[in-house]
Amino acid sequence: MSRILLAFRAFFAILFGRPLPQEIKPAAPKPQPAAPAKPNPAHALQLLAILQRDSRLLDFLMEDIASFEDEQIGAAVRSLHDQARDSLARYLSLQPVIDGVEGAYTRPATADPAAVKFIGNVPANRPEGGTLRHKGWRAAKMELPALNPKQDASIIAPAEIEIE
Amino acid sequence: MEPRYIIGIDLGTTNSALSYVENRPDGDPLALPKVELLAVPQLVNPSEVRDENLLPSFLYVPGAADFPAGATALPWDNQPETVVGRLAQKRGVENAGRLVSSAKSWLSHGGVDRTAPILPFRAPEGVPKYSPVEASRRYLDHLRQAWDYKMPDAPFAAQQVLVTVPASFDAVARDLTLKAAEQAGYQNVTLLEEPQAAFYAWIERHPDWRTRVRVGDLILVADIGGGTTDFTLIAVTEQGGELSLDRVAVGEHILLGGDNIDLALARLVAGRLAEQGTKIDNFQLQALWNNCRTAKEKLLEPGNKKDEAPVTILGKGTGVVGGSIKAKLPRADLERLLSDGFLPAVTSQEMPARQVRAGLQELGLPYAADAAITRHMARFLRQQASSAEHGGVRRGPSGLACPTHILLNGGVLNSVLIRERILSVLNAWLGGEGFPPVQPLSGEDLMHAVSRGAAYYGLARRGRGVRIRGGVPRTYYVGIESAMPSVPGFAAPLKALTVVPFGMEEGTEQRIPNREFGLVVGEPAEFRFFTSAVRKNDQAGDLIEDFGDDLEELAPMEVNLAAEQSAAADVVPVSFETVVTETGMMQLWCVARDGRRWKLEFNVREVRS
Repeated sequence: MSRILLAFRAFFAILFGRPLPQEIKPAAPKPQPAAPAKPNPAHALQLLAILQRDSRLLDFLMEDIASFEDEQIGAAVRSLHDQARDSLARYLSLQPVIDGVEGAYTRPATADPAAVKFIGNVPANRPEGGTLRHKGWRAAKMELPALNPKQDASIIAPAEIEIE
Repeated sequence: MEPRYIIGIDLGTTNSALSYVENRPDGDPLALPKVELLAVPQLVNPSEVRDENLLPSFLYVPGAADFPAGATALPWDNQPETVVGRLAQKRGVENAGRLVSSAKSWLSHGGVDRTAPILPFRAPEGVPKYSPVEASRRYLDHLRQAWDYKMPDAPFAAQQVLVTVPASFDAVARDLTLKAAEQAGYQNVTLLEEPQAAFYAWIERHPDWRTRVRVGDLILVADIGGGTTDFTLIAVTEQGGELSLDRVAVGEHILLGGDNIDLALARLVAGRLAEQGTKIDNFQLQALWNNCRTAKEKLLEPGNKKDEAPVTILGKGTGVVGGSIKAKLPRADLERLLSDGFLPAVTSQEMPARQVRAGLQELGLPYAADAAITRHMARFLRQQASSAEHGGVRRGPSGLACPTHILLNGGVLNSVLIRERILSVLNAWLGGEGFPPVQPLSGEDLMHAVSRGAAYYGLARRGRGVRIRGGVPRTYYVGIESAMPSVPGFAAPLKALTVVPFGMEEGTEQRIPNREFGLVVGEPAEFRFFTSAVRKNDQAGDLIEDFGDDLEELAPMEVNLAAEQSAAADVVPVSFETVVTETGMMQLWCVARDGRRWKLEFNVREVRS
């Protein structure tokens, strides 16, 4: 399009209040990097509190298990594992990112590097596909109970005092 | 107005459930609408309300130190006085003194005043207490609120409601259940017996049921719940060319169930641990109880060939691995407990050990003295022999009632092995009487069958579906002290006047002939009241003298004639009239010669000794 023609179209567009031609619209401002969202520690602690309450997960992680026999750790973990898994399943719906077979050739549907990570001899350009090594995890749904605003969120598990 | 839904409520000893079905009077009578289960919103943790298919029948009385402020709010109540359901059950393990459990068993316990605040039974001084009726009211109230919250377009009060009770509940316990429902705001309530409800659930699942049973068949319904066991016999008869069902016998109230098995396993494992020098406390025993239930279920799974299941009690402090106690539940122990303790292969002649009543009994629930469920089953079938010939009851040469079919209900019977064991014991008895093995009617969804069946029955009452003819499951008597000179040390001999004969049908009334009583105006008159599940021949008006152990005393009945109602005479001659209402409630009336009537009420405040 000639510049004269463009100048006239812009002139009349301004005169009659019509939208400006695409060519002379000012470029949209470059998006500023968004300030990182402030994490809400309450929800993270809430999930930890649930796992501690239902399965004693935090007790287990914080315990020094170096001195125990494998058999004793195994016995404790067996019941802890069942309960942790149950309560995860109750509040989160967990799915693989790629629902495929690990070890098989896979073409990912998405290019999002947060969802699919290429490892090994990765060529210069993004490859079409490769061998699926890890299916990944995605939380399809998360339904945590509403937080009680009157409650101190930093308490993950209350202390217990028994009256004998 | 026609209700839009029919609601069936299973008010259980350990779990309650609510089912409902749409009432479409103009719908296709052959395609009945589906019965649905209501997921009941309840507190499952502090500050967490979640829908669950069962409402555990537990009431927790929170103190100031129990929950953070606002943590027990429900969608319909910001600050409930008590906690009902899963959270109550969980917190009760940590603090048993504030937990009400088995309120239903207390409701049927004649040894206590059931309207007095006595629960939690072992609550420390200062904890508010509630009566068994009030605890039941709170469970029923929770279910009503849950319904109104989830079904805002169809208010609970406008629907038809059926509440189930054990078949073995006597007239007083039924009356109290109905009172609890009325106090919880229930308006159109009908009571239904649980084993019948379980059978209705089977019919609902099998629209072709008419091809599966025949005239002359006898169906044994064995309902083994968490805390109670109930037996019922249903006969298939013919009426007007149509198959018809008659409930011909109900058993006694047996406080014995699946929880007893799990607790016995926990005690066994705890005993083994003690031998090895590891002592566990009450709190750990609770954890062990739960873990033994899981271990039992695993071992009883079909195909599981393992010799033992691990049972672990995690450490109490932050040291979860270091403090954990490791134990095992050996298969041999489980099998021995079932075969020697709970389900022994007894003969049909073996009766359960009778409760020996000590002079001074410790108060508390009258748990069954004999844990053998099979022996209780033997007694139930044997008892039918001593009672009258009933058209529908098939009997063997020894007089044992011999069912053709069996319907098993209750959570314990989810286990194939337990079901098979009961069947094999029963089949051995039948073989001995010369009959082929019993046919099991496959029940499904054993935890919810009773409430589903109750909703289905509601449809049946509206003429849509088959209805079991039941009538009153027991015979009732009024005690009359004979006019004899009293002898020191001997109570005057007691005679029993039959006022409600066995099988008296709903919606009928009966005048008791030939007997008048003089009621003193202005003074409460009290009558001793008795019942029997065994004597089925006594007709209204029959006077029984030597009844031995057949009769069981209930709460007394009382009536009070106000003075202004009868100014003329001081003594009004009255006779009894019995009414069984359409909703299955039994009423006793005093009728004067001029037709004036006064209703007799149960006096449950006076505890019978």
